[in-house]
Amino acid sequence: MNTKNIVTPGQRLGFAQDYVAGPGTYVRGNLLYASVVGMKRVSKQTAEGETLVLTVSREKQQSAIPEVCSLVSKVIRITPKEAVVSIMVVDNSPCKEDFQGIIRQQDVRATERDKVKIHESFRPGDIIRAEVISLGDARSYYLSTAKNELGVIYAQSIEGAAMIPISWQEMQCTKTKAIELRKCAKPF
Amino acid sequence: MSSRLELIGPQGLRTDGRRFNELRNMNCKPSVLSQADGSAYIEQGNTKCLAAVYGPREARTKAQVLHNRANINVEISLAPFSMEERKKRSKSDKRILEIASAVKQTFEPIIMTELYARSQIDIYLQILQFDGGTVQICINAATLAIIDAGIPMKDYVCACSAGCIDDEPVLDLNHLEESNTPELTVALLPKNDKITLLQMESRLHIDKFQQVMEMAAKGCKEIHTVLDKAVRENIKDLLKKSSI
Repeated sequence: MNTKNIVTPGQRLGFAQDYVAGPGTYVRGNLLYASVVGMKRVSKQTAEGETLVLTVSREKQQSAIPEVCSLVSKVIRITPKEAVVSIMVVDNSPCKEDFQGIIRQQDVRATERDKVKIHESFRPGDIIRAEVISLGDARSYYLSTAKNELGVIYAQSIEGAAMIPISWQEMQCTKTKAIELRKCAKPF
Repeated sequence: MSSRLELIGPQGLRTDGRRFNELRNMNCKPSVLSQADGSAYIEQGNTKCLAAVYGPREARTKAQVLHNRANINVEISLAPFSMEERKKRSKSDKRILEIASAVKQTFEPIIMTELYARSQIDIYLQILQFDGGTVQICINAATLAIIDAGIPMKDYVCACSAGCIDDEPVLDLNHLEESNTPELTVALLPKNDKITLLQMESRLHIDKFQQVMEMAAKGCKEIHTVLDKAVRENIKDLLKKSSI
């Protein structure tokens, strides 16, 4: 293992004009510095022409913090006005501790949003894919499922068996064939 | 003269056998606790400190949430057996709270808190044995623990104290020295010499200040090399383990 690539916070990595500052680095003046301990890596970013991205990373990854992006969460409880969920995964990286989020009635779906009934969209225990729309009041993140690909991705029926989506708002129990209402996510 | 405590002996050595510009023996080890996100143990002479860092995590109370950056929470506790006299100290001891707020203020501009809006970073510091230099050991331990937690920060923060005995500037005071002489604590970013904390609670002649300050800054640099070595050693170990 090459120990030369190990850098520590405050260590100078190069000129700011040569690289794009990736995670674990920061720019001060016209120089690029490391902000965490880890291995220095240079990767090419092809999207915006030929730019080199410098990142510092290590095994011990930080717990993710919700930002405006898609995430996976679990419904904890529902009220007629909103569903309270705990956010488990943010942009494919798991949170070490769960964050609390709220899906309001008007954010469940894009159409006929005044006719939404929370209990016909989510049930406690459902796993849903959602999107952060705002950083809400002091304690909760406001989430939305008002897109085709957002909604319930896994749910159990009253019987306790897994359910499969049969339309965008119905799911069927694999055991009893009973149909329950959910706001389903469109499979990719 | 005989009744007065002599802090510097006839050979020019201090009570614990150090020279004027000598640091106490320093021992440090990052990643000592498995539960915490980051942790560190430091000994500077007979002062010993354990630091644990948790976070960034969701803020415990509503009032602590800052919408544009992470809130840093510092708690210091002194073990009841840490001093000569066995005594239980409450966490709301004024003296301890003051040190905690000094540590918090030191780290606020250094940790890149703007990356973790609306979350909280907790730093818990425990003094296991006390022999002077509480502020400096708290800052050094916290630096090591934050680095271990992988929280982005602009640079190391290294702190060191210096004082003046018989018109002679001395480095890294122990408890006996700090209770009899003026003590100046400096925390700086060793790579660009920016000062983030400067603390002095007694009076020092202005002519001496420059020398004392320079001595403390030199001490910080020495501490930086020790900390940096410990961090590199630690990550080398990690790499070795992960490559097998």
